[in-house]
Amino acid sequence: MPLREQRDVKEIESILNQVLNVASPPVARCRLLSTGFNPGHALNIAEDIGGHKECIGCGNCVDACPFLFREPSRREKTEQRTSMALESIVGADCDQCDACVLACPQVDTTIKNYVVQHRMIEVMSRLEQRIGDEDEPDLDLFIEEAVVQ
Amino acid sequence: MDFDIPEELKMLQSMVRDFVTEQLKPLERIVLGRAADLSDTQMYLPLEKEQELIGMAKEMGLWGVNVPEELGGVSVGTLGNCLIEEELAQTVVPFKLGDVTPILFDCNEKQREIYFSPVFNREKYAYLALMEPGRENFGELEMQAEKRNGSYVLNGKKLSLSRAGEDYFAVVFALTGPGKGPREGMTCFLVDKGASGFSVNDGETITGWEARERRPMSLVFDQCQVAAENLLGEEGMAFHLGRKWLPSRRIVRGARCVGTAQRILDEATIEAQTWTSFGQFISGRPSVQAALGDIATNIHAARLMIYETAWKADRGEPIQRGAAMVKLFATQMVHYVADNAAHIFSAPSYIGGLPMERFCRNALAMSSTEFALQLQRNIIARDIVKGLKV
Repeated sequence: MPLREQRDVKEIESILNQVLNVASPPVARCRLLSTGFNPGHALNIAEDIGGHKECIGCGNCVDACPFLFREPSRREKTEQRTSMALESIVGADCDQCDACVLACPQVDTTIKNYVVQHRMIEVMSRLEQRIGDEDEPDLDLFIEEAVVQ
Repeated sequence: MDFDIPEELKMLQSMVRDFVTEQLKPLERIVLGRAADLSDTQMYLPLEKEQELIGMAKEMGLWGVNVPEELGGVSVGTLGNCLIEEELAQTVVPFKLGDVTPILFDCNEKQREIYFSPVFNREKYAYLALMEPGRENFGELEMQAEKRNGSYVLNGKKLSLSRAGEDYFAVVFALTGPGKGPREGMTCFLVDKGASGFSVNDGETITGWEARERRPMSLVFDQCQVAAENLLGEEGMAFHLGRKWLPSRRIVRGARCVGTAQRILDEATIEAQTWTSFGQFISGRPSVQAALGDIATNIHAARLMIYETAWKADRGEPIQRGAAMVKLFATQMVHYVADNAAHIFSAPSYIGGLPMERFCRNALAMSSTEFALQLQRNIIARDIVKGLKV
């Protein structure tokens, strides 16, 4: 069976950039901009789900999110591992690193290629800026001082 | 690439090694106790003996090796400190060469006289009060200090693992800004002994088998009023205190792990060379040789890592990642060494009253804070990402 042709990014570049510029996990919106399930999927179901764009709840985006890695307590707010759950628990605190987009199996490869080729330089410089700005004191140094005297 | 330790630091290392061998190691029995039931085990040396050692250290010019010269110390740099700490860690006698927490280096002129100098000269003890009871992790701090009429009122409880003494003061960390987190709202206060509303529980000297483990003191603050002049540093900037010196302390603590591991190796080697099984010294047994080899390799790797990072620190290079790596590796290394020593001693070294028991206990205590190790991994990872260029 021929592979479904994936979305040509040129057609959606403007809206895609708008999506990626918003400080909120963009994975769900990128998924909706994609072409959905390929008819050649390997799921053992009779129903034709070719072209369906639902989140499959694999949780890859939740696992890839660096913000949730820094603040794991937010994961406890829900047991769901869908893109909607990610949007709810991260919200405007999103680092805009686009890692969730790259991790999602439902997002077209063409969109992922676009993100890597056209957005990553911007993302990296923004992350670097963030890290550079973090002049946060290392609390652990004080704990060590209090524990090991 | 030059792996040689500078000549003056070699001399310093040799001087401290002699001091440890001739003065401290013979005192190990006092600390470990002589009685079979360990009823005379002590946490620290008797005060008179300690004063005698302090006098010796001052005469040798070794007092205050980690203290900057402007504060009366004999600053020897990070590498020098590492070499000294490595030697001092090779005995169970808890004696430090005028070590003062860098948090107090930021005292103002008046506070230096009242607080820093007496601590430096061991006339007073500083109770570092950061942790709070009933918290899941050390970093959760909620004690509040309310500003009233130009002074502050402290309410809450703190735990302190500092050494207890007759004359003391507390270095208390409390939140001063409502709604602010520990990083931006934390202020440090110096609270004198006898201040109204300040009391200390469990601060008595412990002897006997209980003295093998440090127990926290409980500091209680009940409407304790502290004058604004007793603020250490600026309001809300407690975690910016000692910033210039604290990161390199992490490397020096790594050196402590290496010193402890080295003594465990020395003791294990003596054991292997003196004990026999089936007519053969156990040093000839492959499993014992494997344990010795693994221990020595780990110590060597940690030592090189520490010296290199300390050397970088002395050159003024950034050491955040290096220091975190040192802490991560050295802490895991000393645990591994204590574990492997059991292969040579044919059992875990838990026979009370032996130096090995105390060393292994210390080694395990050093590595028991998995939370802290995870933080080091975070620091390293953050630094890797920071350096990544596309």
